[in-house]
Amino acid sequence: MRLKIVENKQIAKDVFKLRIDNPGLFEIDPGQFLMLKINDYPFPLLRRPFSIAGFGDTIDIIYKVVGEGTRILSKKSKGEFVDIVAPLGRGFSINSAKKIMLVGGGIGVAGLLYLKDVIEKQYKLPYETYFGFNFKEEVFVNDVNIATMDGSVGFKGNVVDFVADKLNKDVMVYACGPTLMLRRLAFLCFDAGCSMQVSLESRMACGIGVCLGCVILTADNRFKKVCSDGPVFDYEEIQWQAL
Amino acid sequence: MAGSINLTVKIGNLIFKNPILTASGTFGYGLEYSKYLNLSKLGGIITKGLSLYEKLGNPPPRIVETPCGMLNAIGLQNIGIDAFIVEKLPKLSRFNTHIIANIYGAEVEDFVRIAEKIENEDRISAIEINVSCPNVSAGGALFGKDPDMVFVLVSSVKKVTKKPIIVKLTPNVSDIAFIAQAAQSAGADAVSLINTITGMVIDTKTKKHLLANKTGGLSGPAIYPVGVRMVYEVYEKVKIPIIGVGGIYNADIALQYIMAGATLVEIGTANFIDPSITMEILKGIEEYMENEGIKNISQLIGIAHSSK
Ligand SMILES: Cc1cc2nc3c(=O)[nH]c(=O)nc-3n(C[C@H](O)[C@H](O)[C@H](O)COP(=O)(O)OP(=O)(O)OC[C@H]3O[C@@H](n4cnc5c(N)ncnc54)[C@H](O)[C@@H]3O)c2cc1C
Ligand SMILES: Cc1cc2nc3c(=O)[nH]c(=O)nc-3n(C[C@H](O)[C@H](O)[C@H](O)COP(=O)(O)O)c2cc1C
Ligand code: FES
Repeated sequence: MRLKIVENKQIAKDVFKLRIDNPGLFEIDPGQFLMLKINDYPFPLLRRPFSIAGFGDTIDIIYKVVGEGTRILSKKSKGEFVDIVAPLGRGFSINSAKKIMLVGGGIGVAGLLYLKDVIEKQYKLPYETYFGFNFKEEVFVNDVNIATMDGSVGFKGNVVDFVADKLNKDVMVYACGPTLMLRRLAFLCFDAGCSMQVSLESRMACGIGVCLGCVILTADNRFKKVCSDGPVFDYEEIQWQAL
Repeated sequence: MAGSINLTVKIGNLIFKNPILTASGTFGYGLEYSKYLNLSKLGGIITKGLSLYEKLGNPPPRIVETPCGMLNAIGLQNIGIDAFIVEKLPKLSRFNTHIIANIYGAEVEDFVRIAEKIENEDRISAIEINVSCPNVSAGGALFGKDPDMVFVLVSSVKKVTKKPIIVKLTPNVSDIAFIAQAAQSAGADAVSLINTITGMVIDTKTKKHLLANKTGGLSGPAIYPVGVRMVYEVYEKVKIPIIGVGGIYNADIALQYIMAGATLVEIGTANFIDPSITMEILKGIEEYMENEGIKNISQLIGIAHSSK
């Protein structure tokens, strides 16, 4: 689908928000993603996967400039077109019986924002957010519970330390962030007997389950495809040591 | 008027409604893409490489992007021939297109046993023998580099099947035509070329290989000139049909392969980027033929050889 860019603006250090026209052709579950083709063939060749950070009049993604593809994307302006394949993957399942905590790190926070919207507006459930960043200039949300590594905003330290003493078996954690953060959080959740769904990243070529490029090792020593079995997994399915 | 254009091509007695096939490993088991295009419009679907038993493949990371290409080291992860026949084939058969089983084994005996299992499956039109996967330790490209091995392998499979046999060759050899000749003399009905070109990428931050398998197979637009050259060379040396594959992402490149001598083409990596790219390429070939006043695609096959 070739869709028009409505807005592409910087919202924090190296972080941009891209809003594209929503053609109204599909629905999207929180945690699902899209594959975005940045230029015409052949460079960059592969599409780039991004979580959907907002869905309504526009389809929104929030992305961090890390390499060539996202750098080119950051130069696109309103009125230009991008090509997407969506909706892809399996998203979060919402469990209303538990106390809901959204825990995000860095650009991973983007992957939780649409979930937050849906929990709040559709399900009307209470929830808490804990979002961690390195320092003030990286923060692109204004939620109450923010942690920064340097303490320039909110809790000083990483977001896992921030939530460590709040985990117990009545809690459902929805998490997205760097692998190391997720791994630490997973170990804490194991200890606390708390439930957790995580959104994972992996290098993807197709995004629809055919290339087998994106696999991760599961607890039973098999492979699952991040793009089509995930990107959201129950944390107990994953072999964390292998990540 | 597309109606007046003849796109049918043949391998042995097998007739294809058009020369567009999907390359093994880039189209799953076919069904995944049925949401994005009408599979019945394809000349044929080539399955992900199938082994005798399920295979888990290599550890991740398995892919890395390179300029205009990608390296993969999937390691032939697949569900195995039996599961394919039970779970996938019945659903695939609903589509009016040829289904070609791409097969792989560690030993000659494995290939033979898979071929035997396929022999009674009418819905499988042909076998593509992969002697060229660079990402597995046993078999794979080791077969494809040795003309004697190719001869033994193809003749052994030939003994247990009446289905057309396509031999998929590796470009990682010094004389690909030599290997193609071995396949032909063993009774192969066609050869397909090329599989991926072995490559490596090092992450300068971690100072380590980016792929867990260290090396991977390069595919995508970056490799098409190599594929076209190899098809051209093989066309001069063998009589059986050639299937061109490697880096095709538009009609122009598909036509280059055909003019170099390919009867059919396989579209690989481009499917990942545009799930319905095969239909655009097909349309582009038709448009080209209309514009050039060419009625039959066979007029284009190998045409580059006659021009001085
Ligand atoms: C399901 C999913 C959701 C994602 N959601 C977001 C998001 O909401 N916001 C955001 O900023 N980023 C997100 N990412 C990561 C994002 O896809 C990469 O940062 C981006 O592809 C980098 O592209 P590049 O060309 O700038 O980087 P380069 O380093 O030039 O890319 C080279 C190749 O590596 C791949 N790659 C590089 N980094 C990653 C990574 N971290 N994960 C997966 N593949 C990578 C690229 O896709 C590309 O194929 C997500 C990844 C996945 C798998
Ligand atoms: C992810 C991936 C998996 C592949 N798996 C197979 C396979 O199982 N068997 C096979 O014969 N070729 C396999 N190939 C090779 C392709 O069929 C094709 O020969 C190669 O990618 C070159 O074509 P392309 O540049 O159009 O992709 C694979 C290629 C890719 C990229
Ligand atoms: S990205 Fe291709 S299978 Fe997941």
